[in-house]
Amino acid sequence: MTEVPSYPIAEKVSPEELEAEVARLDELSKSPPFKKGWGYLRLGGPGFIDAATTLGAGTLTASMLSGAMFGYKTMWLLWVSMGLGMFMMAAAARFTCRGGFRVIAEQNRYHGWVVGSLMTGLLGTAAVAVIFNYGQYSLGTHLIESLAPMLGFEFPRQVNWIVFMAITSAIVLSYGQRGRKGIVLVESFMKLCISLMLVSFGICLLLVGVDWGAMLHGIFVPWLPSGVEGVDLFVASSAAAIGVMDWVLFQYAGLARGWGRKHETLARFDIFVGLFLPFVLINFLVVAVFAGTLHQVGGTHPESATELAGALAPLLGPIWSQVLFYVAFLAVPITTTVGMSLAGAIAIHEAFGWEPDTSSWRWRISALLPQIGFLAVWYPRPVWLVIAIAAFLSLSNNIVGWSFYLLLNDKRVLGEDRNKSYGWNAGILLLICLLNSVALIYLFNRFGWWIR
Amino acid sequence: MIDIDRRFGPFSGRVWGLIANFAANAMALYGLVGYLRDGTHLVFLIGGLLVTAACVLLLAQPSR
Repeated sequence: MTEVPSYPIAEKVSPEELEAEVARLDELSKSPPFKKGWGYLRLGGPGFIDAATTLGAGTLTASMLSGAMFGYKTMWLLWVSMGLGMFMMAAAARFTCRGGFRVIAEQNRYHGWVVGSLMTGLLGTAAVAVIFNYGQYSLGTHLIESLAPMLGFEFPRQVNWIVFMAITSAIVLSYGQRGRKGIVLVESFMKLCISLMLVSFGICLLLVGVDWGAMLHGIFVPWLPSGVEGVDLFVASSAAAIGVMDWVLFQYAGLARGWGRKHETLARFDIFVGLFLPFVLINFLVVAVFAGTLHQVGGTHPESATELAGALAPLLGPIWSQVLFYVAFLAVPITTTVGMSLAGAIAIHEAFGWEPDTSSWRWRISALLPQIGFLAVWYPRPVWLVIAIAAFLSLSNNIVGWSFYLLLNDKRVLGEDRNKSYGWNAGILLLICLLNSVALIYLFNRFGWWIR
Repeated sequence: MIDIDRRFGPFSGRVWGLIANFAANAMALYGLVGYLRDGTHLVFLIGGLLVTAACVLLLAQPSR
């Protein structure tokens, strides 16, 4: 018998569909590895939504800069940082599949409203979705503006933001519509965009060539710039790969799919194949493309993603390869906007204790709040707000991490399904140490104790 | 072995452990700043790292 979904969005998924999915999982568990992997790949989804959300303007800019400045040398940071994040993602999967509860509600119950609704929901997820979407709009509209002349027409940012808004809003609003179909549509869109990024950046890499020896060295041999720059880079990269928004989005996206006890293996597969692999591979490709081009040219490099892409384009050769690069790169801000909008809507509803109904105006307005980022076409992000949110995130992400760790080990919350693995706890605690370090470095900077 | 899920005052042992770990992280970073700046504060750096390691090893215990 399939468990009854506890999340309103999942109630739109018919019990017959859930029964069929559980039966398919039972069948796959006895299948040979390749068939099992392919089956899980088709059934997975929340992990891909998380990957597409995490692979945003900020992450890709960091990878481009890293490749241009340090070549292949910092590639190891990508799999190490995402690898550490996997421990916390597995906790989110446990909450969904075995706990069946909504994590923010449980945080409110056991750790208080400040940790749950405020730190995790409103500020850690919803505010981030709204503020950081300015960056996605800025990048997306610049890319469309640069891409259009290659296709033979002009399409300035002051107009093309309408297209960006129309595409992302339509996809966001389809989530949860028409039963399971709306959820599958969004998940399939994210999978398609991730495939596009992998193929296109892969082709670009083939065109610019790879120094295989240097790349393998960069992937497996740790290297950091000397002094405090290295500490900053390590802590920022390790702690920023995935954060509170990713934990929350995965947990609730799984609940929305109606995942239960029998889905935990699928959830773990989805975390690894849907989130870890795309994140690491796409960043590897971007770092390698810039290591093979701008890093070889040397000199000073531009610091914004748009300028970096503009500097790279002529080095890619034929015009079709430049178009391919821009199209794949455009998928980055589009998917991140979609993912952040969903995360924001979920978090706002949880923080205020509202039942999510994807057909309601309340849901639609919450989901479309990040679209205010279109103002980035004319105005920069409000600096004071960015500083305030960044400060808050630095100081609160570790507390949310503490809260997740405590819930995972709490008998009252998970009963016999609480964590019983020493290694899993140790992994989460290492991530917590990094999140603590982000908070501490922020404080040290404020007090003037950090070296500059 | 200490039962870290027992209550000690307002919090459980696990929460106190997280607080101690945070303090140890602060000590290690403070030591790191001094070490990177002029080679001093090595005691803070090593002490902080040792206490951090102890906290992680203790807090990694699953609940009974």
